[in-house]
Amino acid sequence: MGVFTGFITGILFGIVLQRGRLCFNSAIRDLKLFKDNYLWKAVMLGIAIETLLFPLMAQAGWIHLNPKPFIPVGDIIGGLLFGFGMVLAGGCASGVTYRTGEGLTTAWLAAIFYGLFGAASKYGFLKPVVKFLRGPVYKINSPGGIYTEGKIGPTIATSLHINPWIPAIIFAAILLWYVFGTKTSERSGKGFNWITTGILAALVGGLAYYTSSHFGGRNYPLGITGGWINIFKTFTGGKLNWEGGEILGIIIGAFLSALASKEFKLRMPRNPMAYVQVVVGGAFLGIGAVTASGCNIGNFFSGVPHLAWGSLLASLFFVLGNWIMAYWLYGRR
Amino acid sequence: MADVKVDKTLDVRGEVCPVPDVETKRALKKMESGQVLEVLIDYPLSKERIPANVKKEGHEVLAIEEVGNSEWRILIRKK
Repeated sequence: MGVFTGFITGILFGIVLQRGRLCFNSAIRDLKLFKDNYLWKAVMLGIAIETLLFPLMAQAGWIHLNPKPFIPVGDIIGGLLFGFGMVLAGGCASGVTYRTGEGLTTAWLAAIFYGLFGAASKYGFLKPVVKFLRGPVYKINSPGGIYTEGKIGPTIATSLHINPWIPAIIFAAILLWYVFGTKTSERSGKGFNWITTGILAALVGGLAYYTSSHFGGRNYPLGITGGWINIFKTFTGGKLNWEGGEILGIIIGAFLSALASKEFKLRMPRNPMAYVQVVVGGAFLGIGAVTASGCNIGNFFSGVPHLAWGSLLASLFFVLGNWIMAYWLYGRR
Repeated sequence: MADVKVDKTLDVRGEVCPVPDVETKRALKKMESGQVLEVLIDYPLSKERIPANVKKEGHEVLAIEEVGNSEWRILIRKK
């Protein structure tokens, strides 16, 4: 049931990612490189909705919030590495995953090396290096209520000892003012409108939180890194879990969606050096995501709605890493 | 739009994101006013983003034609 619900959630996410062209790498990078905020707004809207949706679901007793721990050194170093990796790989973690389904051979390579280096960082030869890079991991005793029992990562609400609804409503209100109150870059074509993409992505996030915690033994919404690591572990005897099922679902969902709109095509770059670049990018994605305890989905899209300090810090450095590498690769004359 | 004279062709099919968009910007910069750039791409995101971005810079998008399975030809006239 765990793998199955993960798979179905993944299919839905894959469709939304493909139809919405929702790549976080592009969303972040386009702000600087093209002064284009179209995808960024879809991400911000999705986060705003989840910031309200997750506490609402927890209030109703359907889930219990599980914010990621605060890992100051790892969030910064891992965040930067991941940011660099996104630009080199031509996509973020979810981006290379869904574009695998669209037929981009550079995405295949990026995703494979992301999984390999992610697995190496979590379980393999890079484990001691990553442990050193992460530094101390901070958790607190859960105050209960809408948070899960035991140890959780600190959030704005827990640090200020206030009801989590207060920062959630303020944060969501600021994001909603930004997405609807400021000018949006123009876009046309067969892809989803940014508002549709943001809303659907958030709803799939809610579905993920519910099915993952009830059927998958994993108390968290959407994720990518754990899924790829799980898939690679199955080659050495491990069992497929909710997140691994989610990854397979994303690839198939994106594939079917691309096929339906005649956007599936095997694509190869003219210069084979591009393959070298995306392999390095994929490796950085894997190492960075494990060092920061989460990728652009785990820390950014799923993490920021919890207002967890760790996710906020990692996300800031995803953006900085992305902008630095984008400038170095594409911004200079 | 088969009768428009193309001054330069940029084939960026298969390229990693955001190479199609960046190469288009660079090619336009090097061209003279009034010249026409033909961009060949196969990346849906760039197909939707390139027209929006070049229009913002003041250039004219003459056509976006589908020329194959997930392949497009964008004609841009430099301002």
